[in-house]
Amino acid sequence: MHFDELYQNYWQRVFRLCMGYLNDEEAAKDLAQESFLIIWQQLPKFREESAIGTWIFRIVSNTCLRQINREKRIPLSAMPEQIKEEALESIEPKIKLLYQFISELPELERIIISLELEELKQAEIANITGLSEGNVRVKIHRIKEKLAQKFKSHGR
Amino acid sequence: MEDSLDFKSLWQQRNTSAPDLSLLKDRLVRYKRQSLRRLLLLNLCLAATCAFIVFIWLHYQPELLSTKLGIILVIAAMLGYMVFANGQLEMFSKLDSGMSNSAYLQQLLKVKQSQKQLHTWILSLYFLLLSGGICLYLYEYVRRMSALGASTTYLITLAWIGFNWFYFRPRTIRKQQAKLDELIQKISEIDGQLNAY
Repeated sequence: MHFDELYQNYWQRVFRLCMGYLNDEEAAKDLAQESFLIIWQQLPKFREESAIGTWIFRIVSNTCLRQINREKRIPLSAMPEQIKEEALESIEPKIKLLYQFISELPELERIIISLELEELKQAEIANITGLSEGNVRVKIHRIKEKLAQKFKSHGR
Repeated sequence: MEDSLDFKSLWQQRNTSAPDLSLLKDRLVRYKRQSLRRLLLLNLCLAATCAFIVFIWLHYQPELLSTKLGIILVIAAMLGYMVFANGQLEMFSKLDSGMSNSAYLQQLLKVKQSQKQLHTWILSLYFLLLSGGICLYLYEYVRRMSALGASTTYLITLAWIGFNWFYFRPRTIRKQQAKLDELIQKISEIDGQLNAY
């Protein structure tokens, strides 16, 4: 498959996964770009043992997990109030909350729920994370409960 | 179920404009050039140092075997360290990102753990070779000095080596280890999330 086509088809999905992981638009864009650089470099090595989507999401989620290797990025809360407001102004509060709540989950749960919300099949999520399908199902159920609870206690 | 549908639709409403593809391609070219330059610089420094030492060898024509052995030890120390540093860079570029998260974390953990062992070992070896090399190298020239001059020279050199060995080496090792330990702990923690039901 041609890289340009992959970039067009997957940019938004890759961005959302990074956004769920970091909840910082600039850092997420940066991480999404970095993931695409790796995809580009490794594309010739892709052997079609799995679906291209699975392979892409594996790379993106591993790139997210690799973030522990880097210097800690400046969290959004450390930005001047005005810039923060401007950056978030146009987004519906519920959407903001969802991404915020997801980014507060443990690392692996962020990835699992992001993939679920991207409408990937549970078998595919199992394939990406290396978990069993049963375990994925249980985890998704629990994470959704956690999120619902967070919304509830926020006074939805 | 209602929650899940709600989450999905909220989730998918978050979009951002895709940066122009040419920007991404520029970044790739820049990145490749940068890592190539770093590698080139590293090896150039190494080559220049070796050339300088060979020049000393040829120009001053040392007579004793100890001097030559000293030169060889110093070169070996630097060569070894550079090869190690280059190897470390390569180890990271060889990480396969197309693996499942669990396999990837295992791979990352292995790299970090071997890095931790190698760091201590290589750094100590580097110091030993370098110190031994310098002491051997000095011998031929110190021999021609008075007893006082010779002992002062060796005393200062050994004091400097001792300071490096007992102060800088453990400090460097401690710093590296602390950084690696923190990473290893974090990776293990995420790996633990995989196994938790």
